[in-house]
Amino acid sequence: MDAVRVTGVALRNFRCYARAEARLAPGLTVVVGANGAGKSNLLEALYFGCTGRSSRTSSERELVRFGERVARVSVDVEAPDGGHRLEVGFEPGEAKVMRVDGAKVDSLARVDVRPLVSVFMPDRLDLVKGPPALRRAHLDRFVAALWPARGDTRQRYSRALAQRNALVARVRAGAASPSLLDTWDVELARAGIALMAVRGEALTSLSEPFSQLAAQLGLSGEARLGYRPRSRAATADELRAELRERREEDLARGFTTHGPHRDDLELAREGRPLRAYGSQGQQRAALLALLFAERELLAARGRPPLMLLDDVMSELDFPRRERLIELLRSGGQAVVAATEPEHVPGCGDPDVALLTVAEGAIAAREQVSA
Amino acid sequence: MSSLSPPVNRLITELSRLPGVGQRTAQRLAFHILRLPPEEALPLAEAIREVKEKVGQCEVCFNLAVGPRCRICEDERRDPSLICVVEEPSDILPIERTNEFNGRYHVLGGALSPIDGVDPEDIRIPELLERVAAGGVREVVVATNSTTTGEATALYIAEQMRERSPNVAVTRLASGLPVGADLEYADEITLGRALRARREL
Ligand SMILES: Nc1ncnc2c1ncn2[C@@H]1O[C@H](COP(=O)(O)OP(=O)(O)OP(=O)(O)O)[C@@H](O)[C@H]1O
Ligand SMILES: [Mg+2]
Ligand SMILES: [Zn+2]
Repeated sequence: MDAVRVTGVALRNFRCYARAEARLAPGLTVVVGANGAGKSNLLEALYFGCTGRSSRTSSERELVRFGERVARVSVDVEAPDGGHRLEVGFEPGEAKVMRVDGAKVDSLARVDVRPLVSVFMPDRLDLVKGPPALRRAHLDRFVAALWPARGDTRQRYSRALAQRNALVARVRAGAASPSLLDTWDVELARAGIALMAVRGEALTSLSEPFSQLAAQLGLSGEARLGYRPRSRAATADELRAELRERREEDLARGFTTHGPHRDDLELAREGRPLRAYGSQGQQRAALLALLFAERELLAARGRPPLMLLDDVMSELDFPRRERLIELLRSGGQAVVAATEPEHVPGCGDPDVALLTVAEGAIAAREQVSA
Repeated sequence: MSSLSPPVNRLITELSRLPGVGQRTAQRLAFHILRLPPEEALPLAEAIREVKEKVGQCEVCFNLAVGPRCRICEDERRDPSLICVVEEPSDILPIERTNEFNGRYHVLGGALSPIDGVDPEDIRIPELLERVAAGGVREVVVATNSTTTGEATALYIAEQMRERSPNVAVTRLASGLPVGADLEYADEITLGRALRARREL
């Protein structure tokens, strides 16, 4: 196995858990518990331990158990070169402390032995129905995970854009010469074409698996994933010319009005955007199809993500549950939360780990002895 | 902090102004200095005073210099028809270490950055254009950093040179430098390779 896999997780004063531990199956792990039992908290802890960030909140002090000072999560992983331990400690007001095998690191983003994580929870439907900025950010993160060497393409564009916007403002205020825009148009166009190229390439490879997976997950009608770039330029020079044409407008409005910072990706069913016309269930199926399509591409490059799925089973009818579980068990590692074990077909199978959470404790299913 | 005497506080404040030095490190350094015997601590103060008094800018290339010209500009063996443009004096060191470059330098003292309000006149671009226009220059190698601001600066210089000194070749260090890299952090081998394979801008 050449992928990185999570073998276990330990929580200390994280959300409702004072001290808890769990081991994950190499394939599917099912977390069951009543409402409020701590299922989402356990999934969040896995995300936090693998990435150093929360999947749910930007206000990290919420992670620390009431009345405590420091929240900690450690994740044990099995990588091609053996076992490793990732640790994240957080105390409000202090810098987060992250360690790999005991050695401090500034960020887990560039750590090879950490698994990528892909999350499904109801909030994430915003990716389908929310504003384009969310989809662009998601796509660019996927690009960075898929091709780490091109991971800074978005940053490079953002930096050039910030500089050009600053220059537009200065020219507008009469503080700088408009001819300086020539230089920044070239720089922005180069970075912009590179960004459009990686986005286009990623979406081209995602689109076929997306359509197939959407059908498999029970989204009726033809589902498509498409790139909607703002610019039609094929070369940096063409993009530069487009920027030049809009210079007067940019100067009038005070910012750069054209370029890939205004791109979108479209999830459509029967030729209509799901954002506007999709039912709740169709949007959910499309999001799952997108995440699974991403998993396929990442797996092909040896980095299948750990999938965390929260609040999805109860929303699906029985045949769709079965197909989702089938997909989850077809490869890679996943953790699924559900209020009832019956919501997860096959959760009694011996290769599936079943964790029961209640009152801040995590219990593993007792091994049935032969 | 307030429990410390004013001279100690002043030392900590001055140290914490240095790049990469936070409050805590500044305190550690200050207490280290306090523990040193005078004959070990004072040379540091003396060295700071000396560079500030004696080291200025080269009047030709704006490199660091003791006296009106830097050592490179004074060296007759160095080819005056080849000029390498860098952002900071510290960028010269790694290029010198490669032993691949026998020309002269031009230190801009920064890079174009509208966000920081840095325009061409704020760095030594007009001086560069004049220096080249005065004649005797065959090639200008632009070795600004491969960051967004460094790239834009290179583009701007190339455009200006095309207009004013069309017969002078303007080249850029070939890729090989990691994208977004500061020259200071490039190793000798990659930098040497980039110098040899420079491309027309
Ligand atoms: N910082 C914290 N300290 C202590 N308890 C917390 C903290 N943050 C959240 N909780 C509690 O954790 C409990 C479990 O929350 P969690 O979201 O994990 O439940 P769940 O099992 O996912 O439930 P549901 O099925 O409703 O989604 C909640 O009762 C919440 O009040
Ligand atoms: Mg929940
Ligand atoms: Zn000089």
